[in-house]
Amino acid sequence: MSDLTPLRDLLDHHVVGHDEVKTALLLALITREHIYVEGPPGTAKTRLAEVAAKGSELDFFFYQLHRDTRLAELVGDIVLERRKVKTDGAAPGTTGEAERIHQRIEPGGLLTAEVAVLDDISRAPGEALNVLLRILNERRFGAEPIPLMAAIATGNPMDDEYYNEPLDPANLDRFALQLRVSGLIQSGLDDAKTLIDRFASGSVVEQPDPEPVTDRATLDALNRRMVEVEVGAAVRAALLDVLRTLVLEFECNETNSLLTDRTFLVKAIKILRGAALLAGRDAVDLQDLNALSWMTTFRVPPEAHEALPRIIGRVSRQVRAV
Amino acid sequence: MAAPAPDRRIADLAAAFVELRTALGRVLVGQDEAATGLTLAVLAEQHAYLEGPPGCGKSELAAALAALSGARTHTLVFHRDIRETDLLGDVLLSRHRHRGHERLRRELIPGPLLHAEIALLEDLPRSPGEALGPLLRILAERHALGQPLPLESAVATGPLEQVEAPIDPLEPGQLDRFAIQLRLSGLLTGGLFDEAAVLLEREAARAPSRAAAPRSAVMSTATRHAAQRAAAALQVESRTIDAYHRLLDRLRRRSADESASGDRLMSDRSFSSAALRLVRAHAFLRGAPAAAPRDLGAIRYMVAHRLPEDVQEDFDHILEELLGDPPNVTMTETGAQMPGAQSQGDDSDGAAASSTASDSWIDDQADVPAPPTLFGKPPPPAQVDPLLRALVGRIERGRIDPDTDPGGQPRGYRPLRDLDELIDADLIEALLFAEGRLPGAPRTFERKRKSAGGAVAVLRDISASMAGRLTVWSSQVVLGILRVAARRRMRVGYVEFHHRALPHQVGGRLLHRSYSRLAEQAGQAKAVGQTNYEAPLRTALEGLRGGSGRNRHVVLLTDGLPIIGDTTVRRERQLARRLGVALHTVFLGNGDCPPVLDDISLETGGLRFYGRPLAGGGLRLEER
Repeated sequence: MSDLTPLRDLLDHHVVGHDEVKTALLLALITREHIYVEGPPGTAKTRLAEVAAKGSELDFFFYQLHRDTRLAELVGDIVLERRKVKTDGAAPGTTGEAERIHQRIEPGGLLTAEVAVLDDISRAPGEALNVLLRILNERRFGAEPIPLMAAIATGNPMDDEYYNEPLDPANLDRFALQLRVSGLIQSGLDDAKTLIDRFASGSVVEQPDPEPVTDRATLDALNRRMVEVEVGAAVRAALLDVLRTLVLEFECNETNSLLTDRTFLVKAIKILRGAALLAGRDAVDLQDLNALSWMTTFRVPPEAHEALPRIIGRVSRQVRAV
Repeated sequence: MAAPAPDRRIADLAAAFVELRTALGRVLVGQDEAATGLTLAVLAEQHAYLEGPPGCGKSELAAALAALSGARTHTLVFHRDIRETDLLGDVLLSRHRHRGHERLRRELIPGPLLHAEIALLEDLPRSPGEALGPLLRILAERHALGQPLPLESAVATGPLEQVEAPIDPLEPGQLDRFAIQLRLSGLLTGGLFDEAAVLLEREAARAPSRAAAPRSAVMSTATRHAAQRAAAALQVESRTIDAYHRLLDRLRRRSADESASGDRLMSDRSFSSAALRLVRAHAFLRGAPAAAPRDLGAIRYMVAHRLPEDVQEDFDHILEELLGDPPNVTMTETGAQMPGAQSQGDDSDGAAASSTASDSWIDDQADVPAPPTLFGKPPPPAQVDPLLRALVGRIERGRIDPDTDPGGQPRGYRPLRDLDELIDADLIEALLFAEGRLPGAPRTFERKRKSAGGAVAVLRDISASMAGRLTVWSSQVVLGILRVAARRRMRVGYVEFHHRALPHQVGGRLLHRSYSRLAEQAGQAKAVGQTNYEAPLRTALEGLRGGSGRNRHVVLLTDGLPIIGDTTVRRERQLARRLGVALHTVFLGNGDCPPVLDDISLETGGLRFYGRPLAGGGLRLEER
């Protein structure tokens, strides 16, 4: 039980299945990290993000990216400021006036939202995303801090058939949490049945807007409490052992992986604290390490990602034994 | 030495920079070398280029440098759409009425970058050439819009050259503007787990939502300037100059020996004035009254893009050897003979003479002194640059001109065609256009992007004779080709072959863009079986047949005669001609090149390369 149980219930009420995405979404809101969800069209990616935002009464910005996306569409209007200035050095016999022209951005969209959904992020040209993702990373635009708590990006699988270019690895790294989802029909029989039953009974024909069940103050309080969540020496040792295994046994390196210090040494601590809070604890437990697999999805080779639960299990046993 | 003790003031100035160095060293765990390099950059008023994998702290370090040094700073984040006005400043449009007609003049008002003492240039390589050219000129001249700039150092950051990074790296000539070149590595991927543990502990103790604590300056601007002046005025001992000459000589010879690009990146610009400023700064930081030979250690911070990697790794060793082995005579400037000083360098003297191939260079490793390393004895790297350059030439020739694409890079101007494009239009012209005072439409960016078409299939012989160092070299060739293809977003295919063809498909397809997966695969090849050209060529051509476009290439990498299958590959040659696929051949073997490779290349317009063994056990790919 945690303060976010009502929000979790709301997500369950509106979307069937996708347990992991729901948990990761809540984790993103607590830890204020961005999340990238990749999956085929029609797997409720956008719906989940929308319910989470509306259910917590947050300012919500939705943008569908496309291959012609320009920065101004995401951050507000481009404004030309003209200011009259006195000229000097004008030729004799002339009357002069001059204008100083300055281009700036009137903040809007992403810059004023608390939760942003960036749909189909893999469709935007990689270079156009660079500034956007930097804003996401630094949470400020120019010198101004922005109120954004979490950006939720969705993308289609990076197969050729979707005509996407894969995201630049550095860009993907801005999303601390990364998940891959598949359709219920492909994955879980029970969930698929529930989904079909719901539609058959007509209960989802009219999707009402979700009622707010929590608010920014609750999320802020949770975020502040993260500081107090203890990350003990055993957990740190286990985390380092997991990372060491990825590097030494699975040969993750700079070419095949994005095993960056920022993500796995700095943000991982935040994620672990958030996972503990979400489980209603005030100290990180070895089982919270499982949240690491939401960080490795697109950062390490597939076989290493798949082996992660096994690695975590082994390392946890070793640490407990000591 | 007989030099006078540094006076108190000088000592204070040096202490301020030592404090800067110490404070900077605390910003990141385990990146001390970068902290020193950046301190030297400010002290010697040189530009610095900082590269490393994402998330290793490049930006944080650069920002900390600016804050701690108390300099007026401007940060510029480079991206595709960066414009001249972002670099230089606002536009001033002045109108003068003169006898009934109006004259418009546009000028630039120097912007914040031009007022900065330390400029932070984030993600510099992401900028298109249009903005980069003017910027690099400003950095070199320290002069813009007709006035000198207060700029002391520009610190640029950029990504590591990665297989899948979709940006073109800066050219060496552009990087040469940055005297200091530092390469950061990640703690995790660099295997520095002890440092990683320290960082974890630090993060666990720290409040996650800490407000980015503003760092306060450790020195005043007056102190910084005085120190810079004092460091620049420091004497350089004559034996230091002497040692520097010898160091350059060794670096130059080692570089010419190790790499095709050789010593051409050792520019006069960097290795004369900039290098000596750094050497002086190094001495100043030590509190020394004059630059001694050991201060040549500062050159280490210059070499990341100027020397071949092997020579870089050896730099400390080369310098140590040189300093520990001083010449007996230092007085004679022209005395070319320095007895006993170059025992290690001797073997490179006769590089040209000793490059004759020894018959046993493949199998017999005992004859070849391998460089000592921590991990066994890998063979010296193959010099694959000549092949890659030729291949790039063929690929570029096969590419049509860049296509107009709204998501592309701005490459020139054209008249506005649609009001949506106003956002990309020239600022002043758009304004005048809106006022109805522009005859015609404003100029707007013409955006283009290179067609990402084309495909390369690499066919790699893994028959038994390709064992040992040939396996390592083949992998290097394959990785090089993958990098070339990745940068152009070409599809790649990879087929290993012995008596059979073993295509590595991804998602059931021979051609795809999973570059890193292939790169991994290429590192794991094992040599077995006998050679068959027909099967792999057939496989590759079948894979290429489906695609369209002219830019299709096959690179056949082999060391021996085909034994199995149609050894003349007549049908495959015909098919390649019909499909317009260029078949390039690379012969790595010992002895004569099979004539059939000539036929394959010549008939299809492909390149013919072979591996020339080098003295010291290396291999250089050259055109036949």
